Amino acid sequence: MILVTGGIASGKKTYLEGCGMNKAAVYDVREPEASTASLEDAAVVLHVEELVRQKAISDEVLQLLLAKEALTSTEVGSGVIPLTWDDRQFRERAGSLSSALAKEAAGVVRMVCGIPVVLKGAKAN
Amino acid sequence: MMILITGGAACGKSYLAEQLVAQFPGKRYYIATMRPWGKDGEAKVAKHRAMRAGKHFETIECYGNLAGVELDDPHSVVLLECITNLMADELYDDEGNERPHDLVFSAVMEGVKTLSARCENLIMITNDVGSDGMTYDPSTAAYVRMLGTANCQVAAMSDVVIDMACGSPLVVKGSLDWMDETKEVCA
Repeated sequence: MILVTGGIASGKKTYLEGCGMNKAAVYDVREPEASTASLEDAAVVLHVEELVRQKAISDEVLQLLLAKEALTSTEVGSGVIPLTWDDRQFRERAGSLSSALAKEAAGVVRMVCGIPVVLKGAKAN
Repeated sequence: MMILITGGAACGKSYLAEQLVAQFPGKRYYIATMRPWGKDGEAKVAKHRAMRAGKHFETIECYGNLAGVELDDPHSVVLLECITNLMADELYDDEGNERPHDLVFSAVMEGVKTLSARCENLIMITNDVGSDGMTYDPSTAAYVRMLGTANCQVAAMSDVVIDMACGSPLVVKGSLDWMDETKEVCA
């Protein structure tokens, strides 16, 4: 599995598309209705951090994600400490999820202004 | 040549940018985009002015409509600081009304393209404001998204892209091997 991270609109999905992402097997957690596959069947899952917001992360889901070809996870940890408990929990858990996924990933790529910077292993293509 | 520098607040982007300016011949322009609102805004502007003092920059204040900025020397080197403010300047008109987002985005992109054609070397500073995990009101969320997209497009046009942290440049596109670090910006 390749994990692609980066800030909002940093080019994560565009990067995977450029690597030949199978558009017929994509689950976007933010847009389930517009997705071409379910979370279970997808080869690529976009916005895994939203699974944290939905409190949908379990050991089972984590194993499911680890078996995918590629994932995108938006960087959420580079701001001031959020005022609300919910926002702080989201930030903690989304960060932990990305770290857990990265630990098992074959490759981790961080997008900087649309440019892939390899943090671990190989690029997606 | 076009160079884009990104990174967090106070990580040394301006310092590197001024070092890069020193690498090129020709007249030096500094395009300032930050409206000096509030005490901290005034302090930041004063700090950047002090950094530029004696370095032979002609300062142009630009709070929107970058494409309208004329340069009288086509072989100049320009430091644009920064795309983050430029996008914020475009977001509201002088009466404080929010402008249509497609116009905001195209004003920034056309501004950068026009400016790059009017000078020999262009050094641009930007920020990543979309990595804090926060949910904002719709106009701020749109601003964050537009800035991210603009950063991607400007980076694609650039010869060199640098991600700064703690004063240390990480070159993510192109190379800085040609840079002569002994060249002082005031020389």
